[in-house]
Amino acid sequence: MPNLRVLIQGEFIRLNKYNLFAANFVVLLFWVFLAWFLEGEVLRQFIPVIFLMDSVMMTILLVGATLFYEKKEHTINSVMVTPVTENEYLLSKILVNALNSLITVAFISLAVYLIKGVTYNYWLLVPAVLIVTVVHTLIGIRLSYSAKDFTSLLINYMIYVFVFVLPPVFAQFGLIDASVARFFILLPPEASSILIGTGFVEVELWKILFGYSYLALLSMVLFRFSVKPKFNEYMMKEMGV
Amino acid sequence: MIKVKNLRYKYQKSKDYAINGIDFQINEGEIFGFLGPSGAGKSTTQKVLIKLLRGFEGEIEYQGKPLNSYDDQFYQDIGVSFEMPISFSKLTALENLEFFKRLYKKTVDLEPLLKRVGLWDDRHKKAGEYSKGMKIRLNFIRALLNDPMFLFLDEPTNGVDPANSRIMKDMILEFKQKGGTVFLTSHIMGDIDELCDRVAFIAEGKLREEGAPRDLKIKYGRRTVTVEYRENGELHSQTFTMEEIKLPSFFKLLQEKEIETLHSGETTLEEIFIKVTGVKLRA
Repeated sequence: MPNLRVLIQGEFIRLNKYNLFAANFVVLLFWVFLAWFLEGEVLRQFIPVIFLMDSVMMTILLVGATLFYEKKEHTINSVMVTPVTENEYLLSKILVNALNSLITVAFISLAVYLIKGVTYNYWLLVPAVLIVTVVHTLIGIRLSYSAKDFTSLLINYMIYVFVFVLPPVFAQFGLIDASVARFFILLPPEASSILIGTGFVEVELWKILFGYSYLALLSMVLFRFSVKPKFNEYMMKEMGV
Repeated sequence: MIKVKNLRYKYQKSKDYAINGIDFQINEGEIFGFLGPSGAGKSTTQKVLIKLLRGFEGEIEYQGKPLNSYDDQFYQDIGVSFEMPISFSKLTALENLEFFKRLYKKTVDLEPLLKRVGLWDDRHKKAGEYSKGMKIRLNFIRALLNDPMFLFLDEPTNGVDPANSRIMKDMILEFKQKGGTVFLTSHIMGDIDELCDRVAFIAEGKLREEGAPRDLKIKYGRRTVTVEYRENGELHSQTFTMEEIKLPSFFKLLQEKEIETLHSGETTLEEIFIKVTGVKLRA
């Protein structure tokens, strides 16, 4: 994959030039601002939510925004007539988001340590954030290629939130029966929440093993059977079908 | 260099073939013009040739090997300029080119190219702030930055002012003189006439005519000479066939009358285009 490094560097330059980094940074500052007012156990419960929101929601929005600009400016046509392969192109999107999530982990962790002296298990948090970001980058790409425009992407995004994010939240408030709620680990955001939680609380080993295996398998299945075919379909459309 | 045999292509959601059994050959070192009305299949053909559309029927050979046998390294050798301006709008022209340049093994110095097309002074300007003509010139330079052997140019001078259009055409001719091969589509018949060694006309997915512009003009033109002259204050005209101009009557007319104009019956590519495709060109 000789072009991967160039694609990743190019992607970072564009995130900066298109002000998407700036937007992301403002959100991070907002999280730090909120953390400033929290103390003790509440703060410790809040920090994993930041990482979950960033690696799930922000990842989908960030990849959606970059693909929206690529669609709008038709730049994918130019990239696809260079020696870049489809795999390199898609992998660059995944890696850029993964690196971006690591930057978030470093920034938030440093901030909450400096202002509140809070530490947690970074060794368990980092791999969890990475796999969660990979899955949600793929979901973001898939949602983007199904969307006609940015509004349509936001609608897809909201549907995803309603279907996959809200049920576990309802379960926490007792609105959904526990017998049903135990299957929510199959929802990517819930599996993500469990894995990110490992950096902060003790989690049963089977849940950790299941979470990693499930998200890794989901990533592979999404990449092979959903994202790549949709990418090809999108390219055909872009080429004037 | 490229051999196309019985090429057929159908889009997934379409009942009809966009390209329906076309054959042609592009020889190394020539500029091959591909002409046709909108929707005739010329862009589809180009996209098949540059491997952006897959699943074609028929045979395409590039450098003696099936096109499908080439992987993405195929793009190391070719340069593509799309009709629509394509660039990352928030990046400067130079940043755009530098990004693409790093994807190739072999590249050229951008400074002389940018200077030649008049973009050097604006190289640090965002591509989104460029005029349409400037964006098209940027597209053109992007196609050249990997020092390609084969150029695919889709309407390369469309929207470019005459002075820069002249420069770009000179660059295309120089590319050919250095041994490069060009596949060119354009609606500007003057450009085609000036640049192309051979042309093919496509309409409704089928090739309707193919040949050197000069040969086609002879084939479709009238072998006549029309003389316009003034006599007793009135304008008259008389048409002679090529055989008749050898006769004394032709010379007598030239000597005795006040000749105003002489016209050969040679046709234009535009007229041939209309004749073979059945479609009028855009104004």
